[in-house]
Amino acid sequence: MPFIYTASFTETTLVKKALESFYGIGKDVSIRILARHYIHPLAKVGALPSQKLLDLTAELTGMKIENDKRRELRDNIQRLRDMGTYRGRRHVMGLPVRGQNTRSQINTARRLNMVQRKG
Amino acid sequence: MSTIVIPPGRCLRTLPRALRPSTAPFSTSTHRSLPAPAKKKTGTFAPPKRGERTLKLKKRDVVRETRPPAPGERKAVRKRIVLSNTNALEPAGLVDLTADMAGAEEVRGRVVGIPGEVVDALRVVEGFKVGQGWAFFRRPAALMRNEVVELAREMEGVEQARGADERAVGSGVRDLGGQTLRKLVYGERGTGKSVLLLQAMATAFLRGWVVISIPEARDLYLGQTEYAPLPNTSPVQYTQNEYTAKLLAQIAKANRPVLSKLKLTHAHNLPIKIKPGLTLDAFAELGVNDPEIAWPVFQALWTELTAPAAEADAEGKAVAVPRPQILLAIDNVAPILRPTQYKTLDADGKLRPIHPQDFVLVKHFLDYFRGARTLPQGGLVLAATSGNETVKSDALSVGIAMAEARVANPENKQLKLGDFWNLYKEMDMRSLEAVMDVEALKLEGLSKAEARAVIEYWAGNGMVRSRVEEGFVGEKWTLAGGGVVGELEKAVVRMRF
Repeated sequence: MPFIYTASFTETTLVKKALESFYGIGKDVSIRILARHYIHPLAKVGALPSQKLLDLTAELTGMKIENDKRRELRDNIQRLRDMGTYRGRRHVMGLPVRGQNTRSQINTARRLNMVQRKG
Repeated sequence: MSTIVIPPGRCLRTLPRALRPSTAPFSTSTHRSLPAPAKKKTGTFAPPKRGERTLKLKKRDVVRETRPPAPGERKAVRKRIVLSNTNALEPAGLVDLTADMAGAEEVRGRVVGIPGEVVDALRVVEGFKVGQGWAFFRRPAALMRNEVVELAREMEGVEQARGADERAVGSGVRDLGGQTLRKLVYGERGTGKSVLLLQAMATAFLRGWVVISIPEARDLYLGQTEYAPLPNTSPVQYTQNEYTAKLLAQIAKANRPVLSKLKLTHAHNLPIKIKPGLTLDAFAELGVNDPEIAWPVFQALWTELTAPAAEADAEGKAVAVPRPQILLAIDNVAPILRPTQYKTLDADGKLRPIHPQDFVLVKHFLDYFRGARTLPQGGLVLAATSGNETVKSDALSVGIAMAEARVANPENKQLKLGDFWNLYKEMDMRSLEAVMDVEALKLEGLSKAEARAVIEYWAGNGMVRSRVEEGFVGEKWTLAGGGVVGELEKAVVRMRF
């Protein structure tokens, strides 16, 4: 099974999907990576020559993705908290940060807003 | 001592709670009345607890009763081309097209059959399209309409010009000066543009030409086939190796009777070793097996097909090797006349679409189409537009308008772009140059006589329920927007009331 960065993928996985499986890579970033390496958007991982896989891995290694990206996110929240801002406080309380009503649905905030946010 | 008399009802209420008699003393009998309805909830006033969901929907289980289609199965069904209807009658008096017949006067306006071996070759070059009505009739046949006969005559003219030049090569003259015809077939939806291309290809196969066809230019535009930069090119050029390999396979298979008689005569700088004296079809297949070298193989094959060559005869004298004429056919040409969906990063790191003419294969075809290069032994470059306008090309529309203006007013040689396009709007000039001075062939509805011939052929297959008479033909001709052949087929064969 072809290996990119830290994971192996089935041969039939789209390269674009494989790249987007890493935290910190979305549509915009993946399409740019593909363009840089002359890979068309429908290419499957299994069709790539091994050199291309190595090139992709090398490119991803130099990028701020996965745990680095998650740490950046946590640092941002921590910074807000340390400054004592309202946004920082709301994060700590697990409540919406941007003025949403809290009468009924705040599930997203409940799920995500915390100082040790996972991603 | 005075006594306070308390009415019995009140007296109990004043007693402390613990001393009051229970309202529901222990009993084993059932209640005689229904329990009071539960109090209705009036809405949540506090946010839901962490991990609690407010909206609970139960997912319904989908029970699959059939086997899911295997990978590629649905596409195969979608792309399937059926060329015969075994329930249809064998039409009486249907003759097959021959090499000499194509441009002859007696076939004008008649339906002729396409011979079996040509049908096979046309299948390989994807001349038959999904959605055309081949499946209704006994076997493939097509109407030799005016435009087709004229085109076949022009192809004959190209060959005769070549005959003179071949002798010239024998005496050491290198310039063949063959005639390269360039035509853009356009017209409304259903007017028979793709079928005209098919008939041109059939004629070319019969006359021993080499046919190279791009059945859908969309495939080169959509960004769904593999691409790679060509080393040492500036600005960067791209190859589409898998598509080129597919094209080589198609060239080798469809043109085998011609190519198997021709041998390699030039030395080529290729990354693989080549057996000397290899036939051209076997040579083309080298590129099929290894897409990495498909483009160099295609270039070498092209050199072999176009460069004048001589070989020694039995007496050791140099004799010119006859090279076949070439038909380059592109159907649905619009997508390669506008920026593609392939993306590249420019110097500023911005995503930009790649221009189709930065793809070497597309550029190769368009160079011949716009007349920048010519075929030394002569040939025909034929492109057709598509009736459906999913992918539009402004350059193509302007090119067609200019061609129409040239037909309307032949004296006016210098046309101004400003008369056809708002100069303040952006125009893809590279694409426009490719179509600016091309000869355009407009397809319109059939004449009534042609419509009658084709309806009679359909009736001969047993696919028409009414009698083919003047009135019937006239009615259907009118229904079909003045004999638009695709609509005519809908009105006569497909629609049943």
